Amino acid sequence: MAPPPPQSNRSPSPSQPSGKSEVSDLKSQLRQLAGSRAPGADDSKRDLFKKVISNMTIGIDVSSLFGEMVMCSATSDIVLKKMCYLYVGNYAKVNPDLALLTINFLQRDCKDEDPMIRGLALRSLCSLRVANLVEYLVGPLGFGLKDNNNYVRMVAVIGVLKLYHISASTCMDADFTTILKHLLLHDPDTQVVANCLAALQEIWTLESSTSEEAARERETLLSKPVVYYLLNRIKEFSEWAQCLVLELVAKYIPSDNSEIFDIMNLLEDRLQHANGAVVLATIKVFLQLTLSMADVHQQVYERIKAPLLTQVSSGSPEQSYAVLSHLHLLVMRAPYIFSSDYKHFYCQYNEPSYVKKLKLEMLTAVANESNTYEIVTELCEYAANVDIPIARESIRAVGKIALQQYDVNAIVDRLLQFLEMEKDYVTSEALVLVKDLLRKYPQWSQDCIAVVGNISSKNVQEPKAKAALIWMLGEYSQDMQDAPYVLESLVENWDEEHSAEVRLHLLTAVMKCFFKRPPETQKALGAALAAGLSDFHQDVHDRALFYYRLLQYNVSVAEKVVSPPKQAVSVFADTQSSEIKDRIFDEFNSLSVVYQKPSYMFIDKEHRGTFEFADEVGNLSISAESRESVVPAQRVEANDKDLLLGTSEKDEGRDPGSNGSAYNAPSLNGSSAPSATSQPLADLAFTTTGISGQAPVASLAIDDLLGLSIPVGTAATPSPPPLNLNPKAVLDPSAFQQKWRQLAISLSEEHSISPQGIAALTTPHALLRHMQSHSIQCIASGGQSPNFKFFFFAQKAEAASMYLVECIINTSSAKSQIKIKADDQSSCQAFSALFQSALSKFGLP
Amino acid sequence: MLQCIFLLSDSGEVMLEKQLSGHRVDRSICAWFWDQSISQPDSFKQQPVIASPTHYLFQVLREGITFLACTQVEMPPLMAIEFLCRVADVLNDYLGGLNEDLIKDNFVIVYELLDEMIDNGFPLTTELNILQEMIAPPNIVSKVLSVVTGSSSNVSDTLPGATASLVPWRTADPKYANNEIYVDLVEEMDATINRDGVLVKCEINGEVQVNSHITGLPDLSLSFKNPSILDDVRFHPCVRYRPWESDQILSFVPPDGQFKLMSYRVRKLKNTPIYVKPQLTSEGGTCRLSVLVGIKNDPGKTIDSVTVEFQLPSCILSADLTSNHGVVNILGNKTCSWSIGRIPKDKAPSMSGTLVLETGLERLHVFPTFQVGFRIMGIALSGLQIDKLDLKTVPYRFYKGFRALTRGGEFEVRS
Repeated sequence: MAPPPPQSNRSPSPSQPSGKSEVSDLKSQLRQLAGSRAPGADDSKRDLFKKVISNMTIGIDVSSLFGEMVMCSATSDIVLKKMCYLYVGNYAKVNPDLALLTINFLQRDCKDEDPMIRGLALRSLCSLRVANLVEYLVGPLGFGLKDNNNYVRMVAVIGVLKLYHISASTCMDADFTTILKHLLLHDPDTQVVANCLAALQEIWTLESSTSEEAARERETLLSKPVVYYLLNRIKEFSEWAQCLVLELVAKYIPSDNSEIFDIMNLLEDRLQHANGAVVLATIKVFLQLTLSMADVHQQVYERIKAPLLTQVSSGSPEQSYAVLSHLHLLVMRAPYIFSSDYKHFYCQYNEPSYVKKLKLEMLTAVANESNTYEIVTELCEYAANVDIPIARESIRAVGKIALQQYDVNAIVDRLLQFLEMEKDYVTSEALVLVKDLLRKYPQWSQDCIAVVGNISSKNVQEPKAKAALIWMLGEYSQDMQDAPYVLESLVENWDEEHSAEVRLHLLTAVMKCFFKRPPETQKALGAALAAGLSDFHQDVHDRALFYYRLLQYNVSVAEKVVSPPKQAVSVFADTQSSEIKDRIFDEFNSLSVVYQKPSYMFIDKEHRGTFEFADEVGNLSISAESRESVVPAQRVEANDKDLLLGTSEKDEGRDPGSNGSAYNAPSLNGSSAPSATSQPLADLAFTTTGISGQAPVASLAIDDLLGLSIPVGTAATPSPPPLNLNPKAVLDPSAFQQKWRQLAISLSEEHSISPQGIAALTTPHALLRHMQSHSIQCIASGGQSPNFKFFFFAQKAEAASMYLVECIINTSSAKSQIKIKADDQSSCQAFSALFQSALSKFGLP
Repeated sequence: MLQCIFLLSDSGEVMLEKQLSGHRVDRSICAWFWDQSISQPDSFKQQPVIASPTHYLFQVLREGITFLACTQVEMPPLMAIEFLCRVADVLNDYLGGLNEDLIKDNFVIVYELLDEMIDNGFPLTTELNILQEMIAPPNIVSKVLSVVTGSSSNVSDTLPGATASLVPWRTADPKYANNEIYVDLVEEMDATINRDGVLVKCEINGEVQVNSHITGLPDLSLSFKNPSILDDVRFHPCVRYRPWESDQILSFVPPDGQFKLMSYRVRKLKNTPIYVKPQLTSEGGTCRLSVLVGIKNDPGKTIDSVTVEFQLPSCILSADLTSNHGVVNILGNKTCSWSIGRIPKDKAPSMSGTLVLETGLERLHVFPTFQVGFRIMGIALSGLQIDKLDLKTVPYRFYKGFRALTRGGEFEVRS
């Protein structure tokens, strides 16, 4: 037989589909094959499946073939099966009714002899993600978790997590977490263990916002036995699983220093792993463990330096960027440790500019007495760089180093050389720098003025640079021969000056010049004030008016105001607060580092909790102008849907306990939540966050202030608001539990308790009777001194709405933590006040 | 964790979409991404981690194919990027290259691979050996086989034994008639020479690449004559840490086939094998350029594939460059490349010519950076030398081969 021409070889490969007609074509062909048992039918099926999937891949909707595909799926051919699984997984969600058809064959496959098929089928079954099919999942998952093949178990464990996301209650009811817990500590296969860890972490983190028990379970993951068990096996884990384990270890709090050293010794060799993700995760563990030990922390920096620098210089540009962002963070924290490695931060010609920018910042940071000269020499070479933004950045870097006070002498010379380079952007940047420099080191004025005097103001176009030049003209007008005349010509061209900043500076400069050289400047001053007064820009106009009145009132006073003797600026304000830097540091090895923002500024907490509205967001048309308007609305929607997790903005501020990384400062919360994903991260504009954020923030801040600052027991107790409770409310425990799970936390507060109250609280019962007298019933209580825990409920008089309260009292710190959940959110505040007042009266005679 | 992975062609077409979690990521994100990346003047300048209005995107670009991953939660960025790099590597190995046609022709295999590599957003295994046992690569043999036998399932019906073994990187019991192992030292020299001709930075990034075909479960140990010159090392997971820490011996059970045993860095080298001396003098609207290249420190082996490349500044209207050795090409995007090949013994290659500046410009303000490439076979310029390679557990003889190679990496000379 002649070999087939190459053309026909390609025919089964995905050809460009022509659209609708082809889909119906495929449909009829699939139909014909559906029942066929003829030899070769599988081959033709495979070709057809391939076509279907290639259509799907390109983005053509082939969901109409669902029925036919399912009919064809009865096959023993594993490739066909895989393609079918893929197809089904993709379209089941939009075809929930038809998806039912696939359950049958998937369930059968879950019992196949071949573990590969069992695993694949189970994975596909769990990937259907159709809510009303979950009942079919529980059985196969249960078997899968007990399967004697590790591949199947591995799939099943992740399957549990998938099930949890489809239907949390089904997953919890089937008690899969207990099995996972067992597997976590006993399964021989490390991938199964790793998957258990991933699944349990996610499930318990999500559950912990509603259930105390889950929160405790999450804590046990971080307990010594679990962490040690995982650490001891760490070398058996796959590199990705190692990352997961290391992530967990980073959160572990060792009991003493020897434990810390044990862990570090054990993990030392992970720093030499070929996988950068493992190295970075290890570094995070080291940094976190040693935070409290300053000297060891220092040694850790020394130790991790080499691996980090290697990561940067080897590997793909993408990897090196991610590592570089982390290195950047460390360099900014401890520049002195890296000061001998400054050559690593030299820019390479064909690096992308975002990398160069990071490197320039690091070069600036590590400069000290010994290396300044070389660094500045290097930076000066970049000024002639082809990439203009980088050239600018490097000049700025030179300036910043100059302001750090090292070897200023040499730097000033360089800056002045820049001024003579005759490149407009170089001149502009250098002018701005010279201005800053003069503010800090007035002693250099002679040298600088000589050069600056030679620059024609006509060659300077950029507003910032022009403003700088004008500032210098005003400030040093006695040293610059022609300063009044230059200013005068600038004033003459007032109307052509578009930047208000420049005009403002011009006004001030003319004033200063006037005080120093009155006869020469008088004319220019008059013209400037006149022009300023008729300026359309409000600020310019106001300043001109102010100067004019000031001069009218008293010239010497005006001089004192406008041109007082200058004090050298010692420190320029840092742009990023140290608190933010610390927070980013805490989030080492995360996106925050790359964005140089703590994640609360860009990751929406809803997302961390649940993916609930990911779908809607995904379908959003992504247009710039719609962003701001859409997102707040969407949040509301998400909140409505997602009561389980208590996502209303108020809660988050009040509930430090419900979220692993909640923040106590309410203002941060307010600004974080709306900034969410909608923000282009480059600039976090607080103006836009105000749209949805401001109102709750304001009230929140005040509430919190009140709540925290008034010691409830001693000060006049807040008068009970007009909220009446039903004194004979009833609720049986199961109903309570159900409600507790359903409702979101509407309030979470912490109060101090009066000493009398503490004294009276010898047993839980004392408080129960007291609260009962205030129509607040207790449903469960427990604990021993100093920790007591109570669950209360109350009912609004003449209404069905219930208030549920969890109250934890610590008698040694005299604090109570209160979480309130309510049917009727609006009266929650009132109830809270009532509850507090009742609590505060406890123990009083 | 990752929610979705897309593969985009160099024209921005979505070639493949793999949803990883229950929350579908809409394809429109790709359109957004593509708009962003074409709005960048140079696609290389695009950041690997970017934020779209709805997701955080990780991208890795290989051979014109963009591997794009999306997430909405906080996660280690390097993990995502490393994973995408591995996906690219694995696909490259499986398909024998990476391009649009290969991926489109084999998309079923790509799906199968992704299925085993990541589940629900957690990376599972990226070890090529393990994957190959689960999914056979679409090589010619299996294609021929499928034509002949009619059964073209590329899925092996056994599960890999290695997933449960303590050496996950090694397939169970390969058998070879000829046992052989090749060890290559491959080094890249990064150097920066500044405007004054001073060598400001010179270091070597090297790799020990091993190609091993040995029957059974061999336990190897490799030692260097001068391990102390290494500044920092990174190992393949197979390398045991203790012997290295105590005696600088690499003790390992190798994966089967080609792998990177170790990578290392050697800092603060004092010399480069060749010199490149550019000179630019401007006068009255033209600029005279001359570049001299020659051997500086003879490494004792031939230096070949020498190239000098640079970008003409945008203010240059035209350039007329000639050389006494090799070929000079000026491409449309003003990239000038001079391929010299082997440096002759008797004369120093030079390139010279004039550059005409934009009208109105008296002299040149922006100076090009010259990127130099070269290759030296038979020597590792860092000076690292392999001492010996021993096989411990397996009793039979095997063939050992050693090679060394040094290339120019980021070797740049500023003018």
